[in-house]
Amino acid sequence: MDDKRHDRRDVELDRYFALARQKTPDISGVERGFETRVMARIRESREERVPWYAWAWRLVPVFLALTLLLAGWSVLYPPVHPVDPVAMLASGSQEVALLDNLTGE
Amino acid sequence: MAVPDEDADLVRSAIGGDDEAFAELVRRHKGTVLRRAARFARDHAELEDLGQETFLRAFRDLRSFRGDAPFGHWLSRIAVRVCYDALRKRRREEKDVSLEDLAAPVADPSTGNGPSAQFARILLEQAMSRLKPGDRLVITLFELEDRSVREVAALTGWSETRVKVRAFRARQALKRSIGGDDGR
Repeated sequence: MDDKRHDRRDVELDRYFALARQKTPDISGVERGFETRVMARIRESREERVPWYAWAWRLVPVFLALTLLLAGWSVLYPPVHPVDPVAMLASGSQEVALLDNLTGE
Repeated sequence: MAVPDEDADLVRSAIGGDDEAFAELVRRHKGTVLRRAARFARDHAELEDLGQETFLRAFRDLRSFRGDAPFGHWLSRIAVRVCYDALRKRRREEKDVSLEDLAAPVADPSTGNGPSAQFARILLEQAMSRLKPGDRLVITLFELEDRSVREVAALTGWSETRVKVRAFRARQALKRSIGGDDGR
């Protein structure tokens, strides 16, 4: 009984589909001059310039990646403090100057 | 790039910056694109939008056209994608509308001689508006455009099994809806 009901609905649905297929959609109103409007929109989209702040936002992931990379680098390879000859010379000359001052030379 | 169809030269010229070549491509293919979009659009304004969006995406992605299939096929896939996106967007917008708010099926003015094509179209439109976007896309291509499962799979980018499942599900829902037993 239920199968018969389903069969009837299948037939009914197929009939609706067959009828709907017969009716070709009317596109004449949109088709007229359509390519002109499409080309106008393409030209319009070409002229739209991206504002500078949009670029700034786009660069955020790049800077974020760069920061993480530098942070990782500094953790993996901690900076070595070499003996700075210039600093040594500078501090050495200060001591000499102080000594000269105290001894009155 | 090996483009086997007659649009080959136009595609090459359009990629090279010749706008008139792309306009000619639009002229050649607008009928096919608009007829397909008309199966999904609610009015002429939406049809215009769907048609324009299809050609804008095609223009933007023209360099990605490999030319291993005719330009028309490549454009058809874009058109199907645009229509599917529109159906999903519409679904999100209409999420708050309950099924009870949708119009009841209209009475056929041509009673006695069987339903008319116009009545069938309206009835199906109402029933299909309740389907999920993917199910609606598949059943439209399958039943109204008379495409095979393989063609629908190629157009949508879905597997043939997925297409069959969606078509079956859509058909079941439509039968319930048209028979007045839509499981509410």
